[in-house]
Amino acid sequence: MLEIRNLNIEFHDHLVPETVVHDLNLRVAEGEIVGLVGESGSGKTMTALAVAGLLRRHDMQKTGEILFQEKNLLECGRKELRELQGSEISMIFQEPMTSLNPVRRIGWQVEEALRLHTDLDQKKRKERALEVLSQVELPDVERVYRAYPHELSGGMRQRVMIAAAIICKPKLLIADEPTTALDVTIQAQIVKLLLKINRENQVAVLFISHDLSLVRQLCTRVAVMQNGYLVEEGRTESIFMEPKEAYTRQLIAAIPKIERVD
Amino acid sequence: MKKEKNWNLIIGCVLTGMTIIFVLVGFFYTPYDPETMDVTAKLAGVSAAHPMGCDNFGRDILSRVMKGSGTTLVVAAGTVAIGTMAGILIGAFTGYYGGVLDEVLMRIIDALFAFPSILLALVFISLLGPGKYNVIVALGIAFIPSFSRIVRSQFLYQRNMDYVSSAKLQGASDIRIMFVHILPNTLSVLRSSVMIGFNNAVLAEAGMSYLGIGVQPPDASLGRMLSEAQSYLFAAPGFALFPGFVIIVMVLGFSLLAEGMKDA
Repeated sequence: MLEIRNLNIEFHDHLVPETVVHDLNLRVAEGEIVGLVGESGSGKTMTALAVAGLLRRHDMQKTGEILFQEKNLLECGRKELRELQGSEISMIFQEPMTSLNPVRRIGWQVEEALRLHTDLDQKKRKERALEVLSQVELPDVERVYRAYPHELSGGMRQRVMIAAAIICKPKLLIADEPTTALDVTIQAQIVKLLLKINRENQVAVLFISHDLSLVRQLCTRVAVMQNGYLVEEGRTESIFMEPKEAYTRQLIAAIPKIERVD
Repeated sequence: MKKEKNWNLIIGCVLTGMTIIFVLVGFFYTPYDPETMDVTAKLAGVSAAHPMGCDNFGRDILSRVMKGSGTTLVVAAGTVAIGTMAGILIGAFTGYYGGVLDEVLMRIIDALFAFPSILLALVFISLLGPGKYNVIVALGIAFIPSFSRIVRSQFLYQRNMDYVSSAKLQGASDIRIMFVHILPNTLSVLRSSVMIGFNNAVLAEAGMSYLGIGVQPPDASLGRMLSEAQSYLFAAPGFALFPGFVIIVMVLGFSLLAEGMKDA
């Protein structure tokens, strides 16, 4: 469904052009969860933003192809892209504290994609919003619907973001380190929630993280990036059991283990 | 913990409310016709019949102050309306898009900024000719640079927030992002600058009418009355004092309101 072919992303905002993604090839099949891992600065977020169509700046150059349902996202126009955004492709961000508009009510924000992509009336929109809010397992959805972002905790906000992202039943959900800003117990809940939504809605997830233990729990396939290059890619078990590249081995070795210190 | 009372807001509201009631009453009822002259009452002092006395033509000052503050308020409101609307438009586009558009428009704004707004208004008045509505236009244009600067800086800051990216990703158009998503976030800053702008407009109108290029006689305006009163400062101090006092109350009320809203 999503196929990235020879993607190069190059910035021109300094004297020397800087390539942040080199010749990346990646596929995401329908309903699949693919993990994209790597350390900070390895180009994983850039790749995600390119797929989401958020890298539209004149001081950068993108070559290659990003095919989404046989359509090249790098070549389609603004309007065409907007029609896909929110209805077919959506994204959740790292920082749930800032990714909600502080002056709008939760309900309004969750409904935004419906307002833009469907012609449902106010009542139908609210029904649907309450439905997704309970799908992401928020308690007391009527109250959340009327709340402002500052009234919710970080974990709840991330759930709201997920609700807003899936309200139009997209085919692809990009999750850019959705658990990094949350504490460990909430992380596990969000990962579980993503799994549930993946199964219930048949939505493919591109899960970006540097936390390999989460990736292992969640993803069917893993792609490892380093310095803008795709280092290794394969099924989760084979990557974790018999990593081929030295870099992957190092990453796996870096997973903290709980041991007794004597 | 008990919340401390916001005195600025309370006093500001009371003063502004009083001015507005005063002006509203002035639109429908004044004790005397503000333009009828009465030679016998020329420069009359404060009395029961004329609570603020009479001016050099024997016109009732209270009636003229009521009408005049209405004029001043309308001019100030119109000025701020023009300044804010244009300021929001220019600020939103330049701040959100940046690039060449931003450079070009901001350099023009810089050039306008280089002149004091009163001087700028003077230029426009000499082009348009004096009169109430021309004053609104002239002052309105003179107020655009500062408003667009404020709005631009807010948009510049807000456009990189994650909620803007998520709105983009939900498929919202640029116009929608600018005016539906970002604009409400700038209102808190905008609100107090509108209030301060309103004050400046009251003073600017008074200043221009005082210079004789604003509201034209026989129309009353507070600044106009001050300028007429200056030759009679000793003969009839009330002639200058009362209009001046109303200006002070008006400006003070709005300042306190702006200050109070900032804390609220």
